[in-house]
Amino acid sequence: MNPPSGGTSAAAPFSRLLEMLRPDLLRFAFWLARDRSVAEDVVQETLIRAWKSKDELKDPAAARPWLFTIVRREHARLYERKRLPTVDVEEVEALGDPALASDGDAGLTDLRRAIMQLPDEYREPLVLQVLGGFTTAEIAGELKLTQAAVLTRLFRARNRLRVIYGLVPAEDVE
Amino acid sequence: MNGVPDCRHVRLAVGADPGHLSPEVEAHIAGCAECRRFRDETLALDGRLRAALELPLPEFRRRAAPVRRFALAASVVLALLVAGGAWLFRPASALAGEVVAHVQDEADSWNAREQMPAASVAQVLTTAGVEFDAHMPIVYAYPCPFRGRRIAHLVVQTSHGPLTVMLLPHVTVERREKFSEDGLNGVLLPAGTGGVAVLARGGTVEAAEADAMVSAVRWVK
Repeated sequence: MNPPSGGTSAAAPFSRLLEMLRPDLLRFAFWLARDRSVAEDVVQETLIRAWKSKDELKDPAAARPWLFTIVRREHARLYERKRLPTVDVEEVEALGDPALASDGDAGLTDLRRAIMQLPDEYREPLVLQVLGGFTTAEIAGELKLTQAAVLTRLFRARNRLRVIYGLVPAEDVE
Repeated sequence: MNGVPDCRHVRLAVGADPGHLSPEVEAHIAGCAECRRFRDETLALDGRLRAALELPLPEFRRRAAPVRRFALAASVVLALLVAGGAWLFRPASALAGEVVAHVQDEADSWNAREQMPAASVAQVLTTAGVEFDAHMPIVYAYPCPFRGRRIAHLVVQTSHGPLTVMLLPHVTVERREKFSEDGLNGVLLPAGTGGVAVLARGGTVEAAEADAMVSAVRWVK
């Protein structure tokens, strides 16, 4: 890639799109990795890859799922490449990451910690759905699962959070 | 699930996707107080869940980093955002805008004082595909994303203060261009097939210093 000197007119709409979506990419990466440094690195790589592949994005409306997919891929690639240790749940809690804190809302902080403690298989579809705006069918495609499996995982994720939130859980499904 | 769903299946549907319920599930909820309460609780939980997932991003940016492992990725996008705005029709200034936005986003880099180990600098330069030998102490070096690839973002100490140097192997600079923006004064210079940006905060960049930076650069990939 070798853009002309200072010329950014073609790139400007794409860069605006990235700028608009970057906060949620960072959040998504954080919830995947449960580590801020890793999340930041993943998003850096994501933006570089997105920039290089921007011609693949035909419809700006599809940018969000497209970028989330790249984040997932880069996250997996980073762990594969650097052989990073997976983040232990107890360690995560002990870290007390300030990113989890919410000024004057202890309940929100507790909920964030609870989300951190969800197993990956429950946390990832939940974050894709609530933060990413993915439909259950899209999540199924993304995670290469059946839609029924996705529904079950989402149900179980919320059911666990219900308990932490002081609500009675629903009867589990087989 | 065929026919009229029972409470168990309704709660599965609600727990899985409370915002998108089928007409059958909605019909059940309309006639079942317990499931209606479950739905309402779940929707309330989802509101909190959304707020919980939307982490405060300033917490990400506040990380102190004398030797940073990772920089925030805003450089690619923030810089181009600026370029894509008011300067859209002024391509000669767009690159300057991107450079200024990038440097502003890494404002902590100006605070570095200690000379970095040569091995650390070498690693950054290798990542960025460039050699740089300015015979000046480098106090900050990071391989930042800029226009789709890693570039070397350096801060060198000179006799009259720090200068930021961005080595841009993939950006063609046709001619020397001075700029001044947001308290930063700088110059863009052609350097073979690429370009170099040199910036000072508050002061100015001496022409001889800028030329020395260009002379110190060699693109290796």
